[in-house]
This record gives sequence, C-alpha cells and structure tokens, in this order.
Amino acid sequence: MRSLSSLVGGAAVILLAAGLYVGLVASPPDAFQGDYVRIMYVHVPSAFVAYLAVGTVFVASILYLWRGREVYDHVAHSAGELAALFTALALAGGMIWGKPVWGTWWTWDARLVTTAILFLIFAGYLLVRELAEDRRRGARLAAVIGIIGALDVPIIHYSVVWFRTLHQPASIVRGDIKMAPPMVTALMINLLAFALLYLYLLLQRVRLERLEAAGAAAGAES
Amino acid sequence: MSAWRRTVALARKDLLLEWRGRETITAMAVLALLVVLLLGFVLGAEPPRAPAILWVALALAAMLGVARPTQAEVEQQALETLLLYPGSREHLYWGKWAALTVLLTVLLALLLVTLGVLFNVDLWAKLPALFGVGVLGIAGLSAVGTLFAALVIHVRGRELLMPLLLLPVALPVVLGGVRLTEAVLTDAPGGGLWFGMLAVFDILFLLVAPILYEVVMEEA
Amino acid sequence: MLPIAVQTQGLSRRFDLHFALRDLSLTLPTASALLVVGPNGAGKTTLLRLLATSLRPSAGRATVFGHDLVRGADAVRQITAYVGTAHGMYEGLTAKENLAFAATMGGRPDQADAVLKRVGLFQVAHKSVRTFSHGMKRRLALARAWMLAPRLLLLDDPFSGLDAEGTLLVDTLVAEVKSAGGCAVLATHEWERGLHLADTIIGLARGRQVEAAPAAEVSGPRLRALAGGRV
Repeated sequence: MRSLSSLVGGAAVILLAAGLYVGLVASPPDAFQGDYVRIMYVHVPSAFVAYLAVGTVFVASILYLWRGREVYDHVAHSAGELAALFTALALAGGMIWGKPVWGTWWTWDARLVTTAILFLIFAGYLLVRELAEDRRRGARLAAVIGIIGALDVPIIHYSVVWFRTLHQPASIVRGDIKMAPPMVTALMINLLAFALLYLYLLLQRVRLERLEAAGAAAGAES
Repeated sequence: MSAWRRTVALARKDLLLEWRGRETITAMAVLALLVVLLLGFVLGAEPPRAPAILWVALALAAMLGVARPTQAEVEQQALETLLLYPGSREHLYWGKWAALTVLLTVLLALLLVTLGVLFNVDLWAKLPALFGVGVLGIAGLSAVGTLFAALVIHVRGRELLMPLLLLPVALPVVLGGVRLTEAVLTDAPGGGLWFGMLAVFDILFLLVAPILYEVVMEEA
Repeated sequence: MLPIAVQTQGLSRRFDLHFALRDLSLTLPTASALLVVGPNGAGKTTLLRLLATSLRPSAGRATVFGHDLVRGADAVRQITAYVGTAHGMYEGLTAKENLAFAATMGGRPDQADAVLKRVGLFQVAHKSVRTFSHGMKRRLALARAWMLAPRLLLLDDPFSGLDAEGTLLVDTLVAEVKSAGGCAVLATHEWERGLHLADTIIGLARGRQVEAAPAAEVSGPRLRALAGGRV
C-alpha cells in the first residue's frame, strides 16, 4: 500500500512538472485570450478531479452502507474532502480566469454554477460528519448525503444549463476555444497529472484515516 | 395491507396534530407572504416575475417547514416510541412524506391566490395546470425534505444545515418549477422538457429516499 | 427447566469511548420478572433500550424469545413493549386517539376503551393529553403497553410519579404478562416497590453487573447498597 502510493506520488510529481512546463511554456497562447488561456490547464483538471471525487464518494458511500466495512467510509470521507477542495480550486480558477478574459468575476455559466452548488453540497457533507452525535452515525448520515448529492449532480447540471440557454441564447459559451493540437496535448497531460495527484492524495488521506480510527479504537479499550 | 394502514395512520396523525396547532403552516405562510411582499416591492410586481417569486417563496418557506413535523416528534420524545413499532421504516417515510406534501400544497394554494391578487396575474383559466405543476414540484421537495428532516435530527446545528442541504439539492425543482409555471401562464412551448425533468427528479428521489430513510432512522 | 425468554451474552454498549453497559450475561425464563437495581448512570436504561432494539449492541449477543436482537430486530419489536421515562404520547391528541394510533402502528386491535377503563382514565378519554397530570400520562403509557399485549414488557422507572393506585396497576400489568407466559424487566432504584414482583434481581454499577440472584436471596441492606451504588 505504501509503495503504491509512493509510486503514484512520484508519477504525479513528474507529470505535474511536465504539465507545468507544457502549460506555461511549450504550448501556444490562445488567439483571442492570449496567455490567460493557460489558466485552463489548472481550472479544467481541477473540475475534472472534483467530479472524479464526487463519483468516488458515491461508490464508496453505497459500498459502506451495503457492506459496512470501515475502509469504505475512510475512502468516502477522504474523497469528500478532496471533492470540496477541488471544487473550491475549480471555482477559484474559474473566477481568476473570468476576470481578465470576460471582465467579470462570475459569468453565471452553467458549469460554474453547478460547481458552486456542488461545493455547497460537499460542504454540507463534511459538516454533517463534524456535527453528528457520534462517529458511526456521522459516517452513515454522510453516506446518505453523498449518494443523494451525487445522484443529483446530473439533474442540477441540466436544470441550470436549460434554465439559461433555452430561455435566452447563450451569450457566453466558455470552453469553445479552438484548441490547437499542442494545447490539447497540454490539457491532456495536466488532466492525467491531476488525476494522479488526486489518487495520491486519496491514498494518503485514507491511510491517515485508518491510523486515526485505529488510535481511537485503542483508546476506547482502556 | 397493514403497511398501508400504518402509512395512512401516520399521515393522518401528523395532519391532525398540525390542524390542531397550525404552527407549521402559519410559520410557513407568514414567511412566504413576507417574501412575496418584499420581492414584489423591491423588484416590481409585473406578472412575468410571478412564477419566480412563487417558487422562491415556496422554497424558502419549505426550508422552514420541512423539519417541523419530524422535529415535533423529537420534542414530544415520541420518536423513539414511533421507531419501536414493528414494520419497515419505509412506511414511516411515506406517512411523513404524505403529510408534508399536503402541508406544502396548502401553502401553494395560499401563494397562488396571493400572487394572483398582488401581481394581477390571470390565474383562473390556468388554475388546474398551475396547481398540477406546483404539486409536481412539491412532491420532489417533500421527497428530499422528509429524508433530510430525519437526517438533521441527529446533528447539531439543524437550522443551519437544513437550508444548506436542501436548497442545493432541490435547486432543479425550483428552476423547473419556475420555467414550467411560466410555460403554463404564457402558453409558451418547451414545457414538456421541464415537466420531464421534474418527473425524473420526483421518481428518482421517491425511489431512493425511502431506502436511505432506513439508514437515517436506524437504531443508534 | 423453564424455557428461556431472554438471553444475553457479553452484551455491551458504548458511546464513543464510554461504556454504558459492559459484558452483561443473563438468562430469563418465561413467566418471570427481573428487577434491575442500580444508581443513576449504572446502565439500567441502556439495558432496557438494547432489549427494546432502540439501541444496537456494540458487542455481545442477545435473543428475545428466540429472535436475535440485531438480525431479528423487527420480530423482537412485534412482541415487545417499552415503557420509558418519557411517556411517548402526542400532547395534541386525546388519550383515545393516542391509543388508537398505537394500536394501528403496533398491529393490535383497538381496545382503547377497555384499557382506559382499567387504568381509570375512561372519563378523560376525549381530553387532550396536554391536560393530563404527570401521573395520568404514566397511566396512559401503561394502558398503551396493556393494549400492545407484549411478551416482553420493559419498564423503565415505572413507579415514579405514581400513587398507590398507579403502583397497583404496574403490579397487575406485570402479573398478567407473566401469567401469559411472557417476561417483564423493571429497572428502578425504588426497589422497595418492585421487590414483590421480582423473581430475579440483578444489580448494575457503572455499566457492569455486580449482582445476580433470585429475589428471595437478596437482602434489604444489600439492595439498598446496590441502589445507592455503594458496591
């Protein structure tokens, strides 16, 4: 387990470095946005990882409620934290990108709104764990929220998209950047790098959770 | 058939208690009315705004009212007794869902009348359809609301957590409700899509929530 | 050898780090009554709530009339009535409405009138429970238990707030459950009022069992010490 996470961590570092280089130096600037487009190489992977984390929470929560093994709860908890973290990063990235390019901090773009809602849901997920009467109950209640939240994500997304685009023509359709092949490559590298980073963080966090849980159990015996 | 009887008995009990005290409906109605007045005044009471204000008022009032039937059980310390009756907890879910849906429907009726008057909207011709749209949305709100109401019992900071959990999850209901209400009022096309979306939301969560209710209400 | 009604093995319950009940093993035959004695916080309520399936054990096992406490929880609930320290009634409903609700939920015939007569609340059947005194509410809770006709009757501090007449009702209820082949467990520190009902006595202190004996063999001073936690 430890060697696996070191391997993943090592690969993540290498790819992140490569992605950084390609994103900042080797890839061309965008015709319209200039160098600002480079934020995309961080923003899009952050969002991607956030959704990856949400999917992880969904699966781990179901497994935890169904099978009851503690490790599923550890995975769900860790993934939930990472979901909150990466949605926050995606939101921050989106805002930093939006200001110079579109002139506003917030574009009310459907995907941005969905990401903001997702952040709230996972803030709730973590709060429920914190505020619950006891650990086990908190884990089970959080699993319920994780499942409901994850199921709701596609519905939220489409309702937000349709709310805007069907009512008025979309004036801002972000993401329709004509991407030259080097940019696509840069994006792919960063996506993979972030995915590996996610995996590494997840493994480390799960390990920490298991150690904490073991410590608490040992304390109860006395 | 005793499962059905238990569901009905529970819904009747909740509604009977509410009828005798009328606390929840009063609190929700007052809040909803205040929202309508405030937004109507600040934004201007043109008829096109009515659907949006309707659903915002409904959603905010629901935040307030959703937890109360379950909360009342806890206050009366009757919840433990309720959980000790034999039978599946799913029936408890359906009973509470039914009672909450009825409560919110009463609120809906009040809001429709209020908006018709204050916003000068011609409701009468479209009333059945408007009501139908409202109930479709309310069913979804209740579906998730009943589950969350039970969930927050076991958590500190209930008043904060309920809006935080319910509003993001129920956002599609509000958005869909607004667009579908608009479509009904203005005979605009595109209503079918929103109807489908609300239906999917309702069916999905009415299938999933009762199962998860068991998890939430289980023994400590 | 009488058939076994309730059996526990190493039954434990902890709340985070604190053990409310630890390693309790007991066997109760049918048609018997158990008196659980101990000071506040000894674990009496925890034991009752575990048997009622209101709480899940942290460790150990238990069966009630052959049904496992965890896997057969629903079956246990069918045959158990728990009368806790909170009366569990809806204040906004009348006595009769409360009992009718309990009957439907418990899957029993609605004998509200009959049991209300037995506990002496028939005259106020149509009054809202909010108007009841503490003693009346406790008697209503007993009426509810009567109507549910349980095989396992769990009474938590049943004598508090009851006058002599009320105490007699508890006696009658327990006696009826026993004669129908069922089993009663009473938890109280007012051991004097429950002593004559009990066949067996166990003492709890800080979650652990410190005494288990047939009622006849436990002396008054010993009971006083158990109830006061001085063991």
